[in-house]
Amino acid sequence: MKARLKKLMKKKTLLFMCLPAIAFFFVFSYLPMPGVWLAFVQFNYKDGIFGSKFVGLDNFRFLVMSGQLWMLTKNTILYNLAFILAGNILQVTVAILFNEMVGKFLRAYKKFAQSVMFLPYFISTVVIGVFAYNFLNVQTGVINSMLRQMERDTINFYSIPQLWPFIIVLVYLWQYTGYGSIVYFAAIMGIDSEMMEASEIDGANAFQRIRYILLPCLKPTFIILLLFALGGIMKGNFGLFYNLTGASNTALYNKTDIIETFVFRCLNVSFNFSSGSAVGLYQSLFGFALVMTVNTIVKKIEPDYSLF
Amino acid sequence: MPETLDLQSSMSTDEKLRKLDSGNKVVDKTQRAIQIFGVFLTGFICLLCILPFVLIISSSFTAEKSITLHGFSLIPREFSLSAYDLIFKNPKMVLGSYLVTIGLTVTGTTVGLFIIAMTGYALQRPDFPLRNHISFYIYFTTLFSGGLIPFYMVVTRTLKLKDSYFAVLLPLMMSPWLIILMKNFLKSIPHSITESATIDGAGDFYIFLRIILPTATPALATVGLFLALNYWNEWYNSMLFLSSKVTYRPLQLFLYNTVNEAKYIRDSAAASNIPAVDIPLESMKMATAVVATGPIIFVYPFVQKYFIQGITVGAVKG
Amino acid sequence: MKMKKAASLVFALLLALTMVACTTTPSGPATPTKAPEANNTGGTKAIDTSKFVTISHLSLGNKPTNGQYEAVKAEWDKYLKEKLNCALEIQYIGWTDYMTQYNLLLATGEGLDLINTASDWLEMWPNAQRGAFMELNDLLPVYAPITWNEIPKDNWAETTLNGKIIAIPEDQYSQWINHGFMYRGDWAREFGITQPIDSWEELGVYLQGIKDNKSKDGVIPFDISGASNIKALFDHYPVSKSSLICIDPVQSGLAYGKSDAEWWEVRSRFFPLDDGTDLLLDFAKLMKQWGDAGYWREDVLNNTADTWVQFKAGLTGIRQHHTQTYVTAATELEREIPGADLQWFPCSAESKNLVRMSITHGATAIGANCKNPERALMVYDLIRNDETMYKLFNWGLEGVQYEIKDGKRVKPEGFITDSHSFSSNFWGGRMDKFELKYPNDDMVANWKEIYDTYETYATPYRYGRFVFDKSPVESQLTACTEVINRLLPAICVGKAGDPEAAVKELRDQLKLAGHDEIIAEVQRQMTAFKNSLQ
Repeated sequence: MKARLKKLMKKKTLLFMCLPAIAFFFVFSYLPMPGVWLAFVQFNYKDGIFGSKFVGLDNFRFLVMSGQLWMLTKNTILYNLAFILAGNILQVTVAILFNEMVGKFLRAYKKFAQSVMFLPYFISTVVIGVFAYNFLNVQTGVINSMLRQMERDTINFYSIPQLWPFIIVLVYLWQYTGYGSIVYFAAIMGIDSEMMEASEIDGANAFQRIRYILLPCLKPTFIILLLFALGGIMKGNFGLFYNLTGASNTALYNKTDIIETFVFRCLNVSFNFSSGSAVGLYQSLFGFALVMTVNTIVKKIEPDYSLF
Repeated sequence: MPETLDLQSSMSTDEKLRKLDSGNKVVDKTQRAIQIFGVFLTGFICLLCILPFVLIISSSFTAEKSITLHGFSLIPREFSLSAYDLIFKNPKMVLGSYLVTIGLTVTGTTVGLFIIAMTGYALQRPDFPLRNHISFYIYFTTLFSGGLIPFYMVVTRTLKLKDSYFAVLLPLMMSPWLIILMKNFLKSIPHSITESATIDGAGDFYIFLRIILPTATPALATVGLFLALNYWNEWYNSMLFLSSKVTYRPLQLFLYNTVNEAKYIRDSAAASNIPAVDIPLESMKMATAVVATGPIIFVYPFVQKYFIQGITVGAVKG
Repeated sequence: MKMKKAASLVFALLLALTMVACTTTPSGPATPTKAPEANNTGGTKAIDTSKFVTISHLSLGNKPTNGQYEAVKAEWDKYLKEKLNCALEIQYIGWTDYMTQYNLLLATGEGLDLINTASDWLEMWPNAQRGAFMELNDLLPVYAPITWNEIPKDNWAETTLNGKIIAIPEDQYSQWINHGFMYRGDWAREFGITQPIDSWEELGVYLQGIKDNKSKDGVIPFDISGASNIKALFDHYPVSKSSLICIDPVQSGLAYGKSDAEWWEVRSRFFPLDDGTDLLLDFAKLMKQWGDAGYWREDVLNNTADTWVQFKAGLTGIRQHHTQTYVTAATELEREIPGADLQWFPCSAESKNLVRMSITHGATAIGANCKNPERALMVYDLIRNDETMYKLFNWGLEGVQYEIKDGKRVKPEGFITDSHSFSSNFWGGRMDKFELKYPNDDMVANWKEIYDTYETYATPYRYGRFVFDKSPVESQLTACTEVINRLLPAICVGKAGDPEAAVKELRDQLKLAGHDEIIAEVQRQMTAFKNSLQ
């Protein structure tokens, strides 16, 4: 123990360098954490979180009673998996493609294209919702107006649930590809150029170079991003879903409802902090279990890539 | 074979880039094929990204009557500056919101980036005994959270930051995602640099400040960009903590309110003596979006220059 | 290694726990400083007001950004300084996400003095039960004596929880907030409707008229937006077609009283009534008919535009809201579209089913952690009863926001709505004695006739003192609310497919979510309440 402490003291500068971050997370994340107890009590403002009456799992009951929990969990997970997989694949592809663009003309194009692809990220989901409505609605929407001008049948987007998983995933990809590809692009830049040159000398063509060197080198980044995303697999992108589908379009629920929009409907009439807390806890526990499992597996296969 | 670059070289980075690029003159057929495919795919995506923006810009210049009757279109059916007139006739709200957001972004990004870089560097040092513990400590916060009420209570009761801009500035300064990202970027800088510097007698912090930071430009640019974007886009903490007593609230909250509440727009148009019906509601929503997003679009290409250069320069023969 | 990690984590959590426990200061009711021998008439003389304080009032709505708030506040601060040595500021909660903001503020109890509350839409009772408000029994007679004496004991009973008075009701302000439909008189006459519309079926004729004659101009017969407005259609249908009266303390309209005569019999509007009337099915069928006829826009469920703006631009023909809104909307519309002649069809016209407004539709409470409850009450007493303060706080500055001409309150020359309007959104103590002394010129000409008609058949609100304890059925309430929010909107605009199937699904889901248990529990508490009154 003493030896350990001594070893640590030798590196005390490094420890001090970590202190601001440690303090930050202590105040903003760990200090509020015990408040998760709120999920198990009947919250009385006077008694505070810890003085309120304990009610066990009562606050979780409404999740189960509606009979929707399985559908919501399934939707939340499937959408997130689609986002993660489709998102990352597209981002890696785009990053690799950009990387191959050498030469004056292509370099300029690359700069332009990367900036443009970044644009959607800035648009708030509320505006996206307004846009989507103005693109897709039957009366005045762009698509349907064009269809009418071409004298074809209009498509009633807001009444066809099957279309929406695609619409939502596409909107997600549209919004985040530019942003996400930056991480991969930066990672590619960090790959040792010697390896790349050596492969060229050995006669490898572009495809082989990408397949045997670039992709494997991106694996650690991909896995870290994946592990990070898994922790939040039960948490939905509320803004995206709520603004795209509205909160009252019954037809679309089965295909587009996630836990957070469900909770929003439950609690926007009669406010209940305990229920909200219960849902948050459910989401966290799920994500936690998932990450721990996957991290252990990753550690066994490739210890360097695990998150911790 | 392209030359490897010496960190201490006296050439400017532009010259270095040109040298690197020209060294790769031979582009074989497969690479050309990939490039063509790349241009098409990215070109298509770019088109999809630009179109909505064109729509926003076009709508912001369209007369309200036209929008109410015909909806949005790519080219204004009836040109009108009334939406912008309105915004800039009462510029105080917009200007104030801008200044607040810019202030928060600049302050938060510089301070936050420094701390994140510092932490990320320390955590990737293989000789730092506590690195795994602290990494887990930081990462764990992404899995569990106390929830809205405890967070709100900590900020308002414990820290007493209600109605203070710090309530927005502080919580956004760091995120586990950015720290771990930074850690990974910095991992690619060989440990040998640190070791040789230590042998030369430099302290850890000095090494970080004088040696690592200058070479980690791409990492700093990437993380800095993400951090700045977090600040620029934030509205939630503003809604929670900045009450009506605060006159100028961050840009995105202003935008969010504008899009959601017609009445809010009418208040803002107060100085223009336009009767309520004629207020260009829809076009004003679009104009506000342009006004809010506009500046950031020009920041990105500027930052991009730094980050690519830095990465290329950072390649060192081991 | 793993143990160490776990141990350090536990340690961190324990540390955090102790810190949180230390920082959540227990907030008991503040002990009022008893003033020595306060008289009943203006007892400010014996009360110590030597310390200058700022009292805050929590209002719902958007803060005026045209500078008028600051201008009016300066005036009333001057007056307050002289009278009570204090200042008054308003904290506005914007309409965006207002429930989150409002409830957060109450939950964490920071800096709240006077709070606007309401038993039917701001959850006065649940918040009181959670300890958000201060007990006022001892403070009122001393610090708000005029208010204390002018409100009858029966009315105080309606803001009392287990013997503790938790709010002051707005009980001397005539408000008719019964809902109905506003429609354009000029268009109605065009379609051959000569008598005031007084049934939903006739409304359908009007809508068809718009569809036939005005669609080419891009007019949507009935433009509506927002889930709550859409769902509200089924709040109003039962009023028109039955004698059910809503038991407001139970959320989402899940419980209704059978009729005024048998108000203690609890029924549900979602299931067939004793006499076989199936409100929900009839409603669903009518709405489907309307939907198929195209009275709403195609994507009405996703619409977010402000439909009153559309109305004033001549793009729609119906506005659904309550009487209070109608009386001023009529004159507003006349200014925008002269000759439009806004008419009013109250839902109660068909069935003569009209319940007076609860006196706790508006109320003012004091925050549990208020540091100056005495001064806050004194300010309230002044606002409510002192003519100068009342006018300032409610109407604004004379000559800027209003003028008194011929005993009426009018807008001054050169008044521009957007530059000069001001509102404090004080909805917890308005008084007829001032409002009707100088009635607002903005009100439609026949407002008195409308009010008088109501008086002939209105029944008293029976549930004022009924405090519903949610805890036995909290989960069921949440689950049923979700079902209603999910399935009802589409039925309300005829977009739920076959009405029979849609209604059946809603009913099945409600049953699954515990609807019957809720009705049983409400009945149980209602019966106990009725017995306690005897």
